[in-house]
Amino acid sequence: MWDVVKSVLAAFFGVQQDQRRRKDFEQGKAGAFILIGILLALLMIVIVFVVASMAAG
Amino acid sequence: MAPKSPPKATLEHSQSASGSAAAHHVEERHYRSGPLRWLLTTNHKEIGSLYLIFSLSMFMIGGAMALIIRLELFQPGLQMVQPEFFNQMTTMHGLIMVFGAVMPGFVGLANWMIPLQVGAPDMALPRLNNFSFWLLPIAFTLLLSTLLMPGGGPNFGWTFYAPLSTTYAPPSTTFFIFALHMAGISSILGAINIIATILNLRAPGMRLMDMTLFVWTWLITAFLLIAVMPVLAGVITMMLLDINFGTSFFNAAGGGDPVLFQHLFWFFGHPEVYIMILPAFGIVSVIIPTFARKRLFGYASMVYATASIAILSFLVWAHHMFAVGLPLVAELFFMYTTMLIAVPTGVKVFNWITTLFRGEITFETPMLFALAFVVLFTIGGFSGLMLAIAPADFQYHDTYFVVAHFHYVLVPGAVFSIMAAVYYWLPKWTGHYPDERLGRWHFWLSVIGVNLLFFPMHFAGLAGMPRRIPDYALQFADFNMASSIGGFLFGFSQLLFIWVIVKCVRGGVKAPASAWEGATDLEWTVPSPAPLHTFETPPDLRGFKFH
Amino acid sequence: MRKMFTLAALLASLDSSYSISHASDWNMPVGVSQVSRDVYGLHMIIFWICVVIGLIVFGVMFYSLYRYRRSKGAKAVQFHEHTTIEIVWTAIPFLILIAMAIPATATLKDMYDASESDYDVMITGHQWRWQYDYMGEDVTFFSNMSTPREQIAGTEEKGEHYLLEVDQPLVLPVDRKIRLLTTSADVIHSWWVPDLAVKKDAIPGFVNESWTRIEEPGIYRGQCAELCGKDHGFMPVVVHAMEQEQFDAWLAERKQEAAAEAGGVDREWALEELVERGEKVYATICASCHQAEGQGMPPTFPALAGNQTLMDDLDRHIDVVVNGVSGSAMAAFSGTLSPVDIAALITFERNAWGNDTGDAVQPADIQALVSP
Repeated sequence: MWDVVKSVLAAFFGVQQDQRRRKDFEQGKAGAFILIGILLALLMIVIVFVVASMAAG
Repeated sequence: MAPKSPPKATLEHSQSASGSAAAHHVEERHYRSGPLRWLLTTNHKEIGSLYLIFSLSMFMIGGAMALIIRLELFQPGLQMVQPEFFNQMTTMHGLIMVFGAVMPGFVGLANWMIPLQVGAPDMALPRLNNFSFWLLPIAFTLLLSTLLMPGGGPNFGWTFYAPLSTTYAPPSTTFFIFALHMAGISSILGAINIIATILNLRAPGMRLMDMTLFVWTWLITAFLLIAVMPVLAGVITMMLLDINFGTSFFNAAGGGDPVLFQHLFWFFGHPEVYIMILPAFGIVSVIIPTFARKRLFGYASMVYATASIAILSFLVWAHHMFAVGLPLVAELFFMYTTMLIAVPTGVKVFNWITTLFRGEITFETPMLFALAFVVLFTIGGFSGLMLAIAPADFQYHDTYFVVAHFHYVLVPGAVFSIMAAVYYWLPKWTGHYPDERLGRWHFWLSVIGVNLLFFPMHFAGLAGMPRRIPDYALQFADFNMASSIGGFLFGFSQLLFIWVIVKCVRGGVKAPASAWEGATDLEWTVPSPAPLHTFETPPDLRGFKFH
Repeated sequence: MRKMFTLAALLASLDSSYSISHASDWNMPVGVSQVSRDVYGLHMIIFWICVVIGLIVFGVMFYSLYRYRRSKGAKAVQFHEHTTIEIVWTAIPFLILIAMAIPATATLKDMYDASESDYDVMITGHQWRWQYDYMGEDVTFFSNMSTPREQIAGTEEKGEHYLLEVDQPLVLPVDRKIRLLTTSADVIHSWWVPDLAVKKDAIPGFVNESWTRIEEPGIYRGQCAELCGKDHGFMPVVVHAMEQEQFDAWLAERKQEAAAEAGGVDREWALEELVERGEKVYATICASCHQAEGQGMPPTFPALAGNQTLMDDLDRHIDVVVNGVSGSAMAAFSGTLSPVDIAALITFERNAWGNDTGDAVQPADIQALVSP
């Protein structure tokens, strides 16, 4: 699970080692990546919103 | 552009019809030469050509409207047209260029090249493909005909903010809505077709991460299209109801909300901006490695960056609305997300440049256009970064600075990438190389013209010139004169483009299957010109070197 | 924060056209308020950041194009993907953006704090003029573009402030916090004065808030920034900032005028008197749509000259002007024009361009209709 999160974060960041990527594509399940991707995207929205709220005071 | 001679009937075709009389009839209709063949074709190459020809015609019509605008703005004062007509020109120019030229241009390239690049015999849904295309000429004929209607055509800008586009709109607005609905349906169907083709028809052995970036960017673009075109359909349907059925979605007097229109429009509109640029990223990412004779520096990063941009594109829409009086938290949220989107965009530019580094570079016409894309799109990206700063945006918003910004990303951005693609794939389409000398003339005239046209607009905007005005104060005169001269230079250079294409279709230096030395993708394994039917049996990809 | 702006000002001074308060020809004006200077500072910082990044990126690019040409005998070196480099070029822009977001957030918060104002002005956008209402002072007026049509058509030489001049500017005192409330009576407009760094959309059904504190007396010019129809290019904004004493005198004078105007409702007006006044109202308010000779622009703006419904049905004519026509571009003028102006206008329309009805509508009748 943690590996999936790390891979998705790497994808968000746009940087991933080639061999890890190969491993993900060969062994990982697409559904898990998509689910984690959606969750992390929502998390990002929440984080930016919280930062904006705090900045707005 | 596809070969003109009808192909030989195959066994498959005669089997598909039931009964021998019917079979005879079907075949005759299928291989008819003349206009009906083009009307009824289900071949991805022919439909691709139709899309591209349509896109080019719309580019010329929308361009002629831009020249009317530039002619009026050549000097202060009203000389050529009245404000009502001027507003119709700015509106129609925007609508035609976005929905009629750029989007169909990319769809045409997708039709031609995606099956060739993934080793598929055709698009997954060929009849749907035919329907998607033929909706467009109908939609745009209807849209253009509104100019002749009483009260004139749409005059409320391509963003058609309510209530100017509802309560205060000309009677022809209902036709505008209908036309846009048709163009939207065409886009959605096209997108479904592209996704189905990419996900289902890849040649055995080709994994997702083996696909070219053009295919990748189109796959992501197609998802964006499916996500946002229904939002556009929804918002124009609400307009339709407000205009004709007495509802008050956007009418404040009836309890409606004009700002709701803008939220809905830009929730569609911002991803739409990326719909017009992601396939351009794909094209450039294919062309630069070819002429640098070096593989793309970060293929996976490029794919990821495209996906990041696509996701972020849904979270930034309100940066078009910084001046509408959003709450402070919303302004900050959209400022931060907008700044974030600069990061994956930067990753792309860095990747292209690192691909050039230590390459073996030659400067054929497609490469020239791709390189100009990198430089000029980046300039458009810089002004985009400036626009993201909300406090400063209060000064930039709705001025010529914004006009300069989005034209830099759309003209030397999206349009140059389409031109690069045309020069790059013309040998595959026609079997001849485009005239290199004319291509260079076309390139240099376009680059000089486009910069003379759009660069002074930055200054005009910063100095305080609002957009969409038919006449302006005297201090903006010099910038506008320069822009107009650049506009005419750029506009008339495109006649050269048409001439290059016509010449190339008619003949020229014969191109081999692999027309460019550094090109490695799958389309270069089929003969030039590509026969009407390719990859009827999937290619054997064992040992094929992907990108 | 301040330090940052000093830096920006320093960088900005590299630009030869830089000046303290006047709009430069090439760049954003520095303006005449603290907010406008802050905005200018942000603009110059982000501009120079872009220039520096651009020089580096394009520098590497053009070096590669020059150095690694095949005609110079370059041979491609196959390398790709380098995790460290990729992390660096993702992280650096990210850090630059955070550094940029901090001052931008501070300025934005400042711009949003319209509390504790000294004066409140309600700005209402109309097609195609601005209305200013000094709240609590009983002073309200329209501000129309005063550039003659002949200058636009080119039959007369264009003046210095071509398209940026009005009959009555918004008059404001300097060194006072002015709260600007923007709204609209018809379509969306946007009230913009570059020297104040204030641009706020005027939206029907909404009241938006912004503020300014002008530091130097002077005349500051801007324009409507949101496409609002045919004459969008012809609705300038002019702000005349003056010292407090002058402003007080001006305000007192306006109040007197308003009182005198109110007295006109009760007396009987002669036909000629009404027509004469109505002609002026028509020219400033109605002519942009219904045209100078009442010929209109059908089908959107109907003709008034020779309009049989108008001539036959006085009540309907009054109703249309007072209450507008819902679902069309015809606005209700009961809230924006005085009863005297409405009566004069209707009388003029019924007696001009061959509409010889001879009707004289009295201001008192309109007054009764508007506030029974």
